[in-house]
Amino acid sequence: MFEAPVQKLIDELARLPGVGRKSAQRLAFHILQIEEVDARRLADAIIEMRETVRLCSRCFNITDEEECSICRDLRRDPSGICVVERAQDIVVVERTQEFKGRYHVLGGAISPIEGIGPDQLRIRQLVARIDAEGVTEVIAATNPNVEGDTTALYIARILKPLGVKVTRLASGLPVGGDLDYADEITLGRALAGRQEL
Amino acid sequence: MGLKNDQGIVLRGFPFGEADRVVVILSPNHGKLRTVAKGVRKTKSRFGGRLEPFTHVDLVLYEGRNLDTITQVEIIEAFPALRSDLDRVLAAGTMVEAIDAVVQENESSLRPFLLLQRGLRTLESGAVHPDLLTAFLLGIADVVGIAPAFDHCAGCGRSDGLVRFSFGDGGVLCERDRTPGAVSLRDGLTDYLARIASASLDDLPEADPSLSGEAIGVTRRFLEYHLDRRLGTVVFDV
Repeated sequence: MFEAPVQKLIDELARLPGVGRKSAQRLAFHILQIEEVDARRLADAIIEMRETVRLCSRCFNITDEEECSICRDLRRDPSGICVVERAQDIVVVERTQEFKGRYHVLGGAISPIEGIGPDQLRIRQLVARIDAEGVTEVIAATNPNVEGDTTALYIARILKPLGVKVTRLASGLPVGGDLDYADEITLGRALAGRQEL
Repeated sequence: MGLKNDQGIVLRGFPFGEADRVVVILSPNHGKLRTVAKGVRKTKSRFGGRLEPFTHVDLVLYEGRNLDTITQVEIIEAFPALRSDLDRVLAAGTMVEAIDAVVQENESSLRPFLLLQRGLRTLESGAVHPDLLTAFLLGIADVVGIAPAFDHCAGCGRSDGLVRFSFGDGGVLCERDRTPGAVSLRDGLTDYLARIASASLDDLPEADPSLSGEAIGVTRRFLEYHLDRRLGTVVFDV
């Protein structure tokens, strides 16, 4: 046991994901040793983030304004929406610089095993955007696992009758990997989606 | 502690740490196995899609104090077709959810394993039969020893006038029985349920659209009553 203020910080840090007691202790003593101004900047950053960050009213991305920077950007193509499970996934797709449309964050994926159904996701809000924004294509960029695939299939079932083209990110071999290590499911999908050279 | 071999069907998984996943597997020999697959959430993981739910896999495990770590995995049966169809994947999810509710760790689970394997194979082979989930849930009731009686009154043993169903008494009741909480069954439903219960999952009798809905409703409520948990909340709402 340390002095109460130190112990209090260790306890709080240990509640963070991936931080154990030992790491929390190391972080707390690091914070104790740095300049007070640096410690205050860290504390202010945490409080500012909590107080200012909210969800975009249109796509549910993380933002500090009513709408996120992507939804406000008039140069983005309004006819395409890339649907992702979590706000963090937007950054990953943005890094590819291949997609010029807008996004929609579902807040998870359908999981019959865990009892998560479409009503617990932001699918209703996605449907409402189709007509309102003149969307012609929806890209289902949910994770390539059973839950993500199920969600993509559900979105296709809901949106296709509305005349929207629903596409799915291709599954296949990771660049730089060995064919040797490919599993049957991934390799099977890579073969099904092969492209002519 | 050391290496051991096993096999089983992947029931579910959830994120663990930075890039690992806890994978729950139904082994015919050892019941539910809780294992860790290291780095499986990375796109370059050597496990790839082998540890996705519904996959029947052969495993090499390193025994740990709490969780065993998967060191090698090979696919025995992947069921690729059922993953590409919404109705089939939701039905498979409900099968896994129900099996997960009745199987324990560290006990032989050959019958639940074979039931799930047959259920997944039936889904893989084609469109979902309207009564497949009813048959599967009745199969689970049989496996855990609570198969409902359809040929005699669960109250007095009479074999005619079986028109009600009691969840608590575990079967149909005759018209004379006044057990509270029992529900009335539509004409012909008792025989319909009996036929489904005695048929093989891959060879079910022709479905009757006027009875299928009520058949799954009664079966689901019966199992939920005895397992004390809700089942198939997603599949029946989609």
